Amino acid sequence: MVFFLDDELQSSEVKALEAHLTECEGCRELFENERRFLTALRGFKPLNPAPPELRAQVERILSNGPPAYSAPAELRVRIMRTMSKFGASTTELIGSRGALLVIGLVTIVLLVGVWYAAKKGNAEPSPPSDFAMMAVNNHQRHLRGQLPLETTADAPEEISNWFAGKVPFRVTLPNYQESSGQEKLYELEGARLVGYKTDYAAYVAYSMRKRPISLVMTSDAVARPSGGEQIVSNGITFHYDAINGLKVISWSDRGLTYALVSDLEERGQQSCILCHQGTKDQDFIQELKPR
Amino acid sequence: MGEASTRNTGFSGAALEHLDALYGFAMVLTRDRAEAEDLVQETYLRAVRAFGSLMPDSNLKSWLFAIMRNIWLNQLRHVRSGPQFVELDAEEGNRAQWLDRVSNDPHALYVSKLEREEVRAAIGRLPHLYREIIVLRDLEGFSYQQIAAILECPAGTVMSRLGRAREKLRRLLGDLRTPSARTAQVN
Repeated sequence: MVFFLDDELQSSEVKALEAHLTECEGCRELFENERRFLTALRGFKPLNPAPPELRAQVERILSNGPPAYSAPAELRVRIMRTMSKFGASTTELIGSRGALLVIGLVTIVLLVGVWYAAKKGNAEPSPPSDFAMMAVNNHQRHLRGQLPLETTADAPEEISNWFAGKVPFRVTLPNYQESSGQEKLYELEGARLVGYKTDYAAYVAYSMRKRPISLVMTSDAVARPSGGEQIVSNGITFHYDAINGLKVISWSDRGLTYALVSDLEERGQQSCILCHQGTKDQDFIQELKPR
Repeated sequence: MGEASTRNTGFSGAALEHLDALYGFAMVLTRDRAEAEDLVQETYLRAVRAFGSLMPDSNLKSWLFAIMRNIWLNQLRHVRSGPQFVELDAEEGNRAQWLDRVSNDPHALYVSKLEREEVRAAIGRLPHLYREIIVLRDLEGFSYQQIAAILECPAGTVMSRLGRAREKLRRLLGDLRTPSARTAQVN
């Protein structure tokens, strides 16, 4: 009987049921009872209409359409396998430079408060980039527990491997704390994909003394940093912004654009020592200067 | 306009038609407005990337729903503390006014905001497995086979689970009358 109301009966079965209902009052009452219930229930569609802001956002996603060229996942995997064969030296080079950059960036998060205080009252900085705003938005959602991590691996290599095939760029995270032999001061919490324009960006969650830090990465063909206070180091321009009470630093290097978000409060070079005790890191810190 | 562009436009228009349905399903899955919005956006993002693999004769709506459910399940697998699926006892003895009205006049489907809230609340109180199947079948009109594909379970499971879900929903909405008692009242 319910199958009939769900349009799941074959025509011969429908006829048989109709014939039975004609003759059986008890079954007819049950049938009518069920029919009224389902008819009423189905009249409530849609139960939760989409809010207008969501509709606008989805329209933007759909209007941008798919990427002009989107390599199939299998091709991406084959290419990465091929690169890894060449790539011991290339990977190491990317890995070491990448490690130095991310190490320096965590330091910059601690340092920029000093420069911001010094620059306060001078010329007003230009507004932050859309990418920085997105990074802040996702950091805030992470703080509210509204951004569940898709992987909770705590090893940089596992995180990097998780992103393989999911984003059209190579995500390499440093493992410098263990490599430098120092005490572990920050924790890798996990990672996930976050939407940005018509594709995904890589979101990586850290914590330092239980304070969350978010790192968002995407291809520099998709986003470029802009605005804010600018700091030059090693030929890279770092853009510092304060958005909604959070510190954001964004930069581009080797085909990727990064945004690092935190609310850490340390000031000055002393704060750098929290994370970096190796001589190489201190030299890097010394080079930082405002533009 | 090239063939690819035409297909893109057609896909976008067709996909947008299912936004309310997808959002409703996302609310059922997540029971949180912000998470539901995030889930909907992720679903459309993945659909835009993958629509080239959608066969022309495939059902777009069920494809979108399957994408959403897979995203949500994947998130659940990686969240340290996932949602707690609690079996709720049915509330006995509460009558919904709309059910009375329907019982006495099946043609007068008067849908007020209050009644919609009652139904929404009752569906929200269903256990998760019942909640999603009620939405898929009775609100979105998917066939048993389509539901089985979305939920990745046998069609037989769909049928039995749907029957139990409807029964539990009826109890939550307060339909305690037997058919004979209802006939007596009408007469």
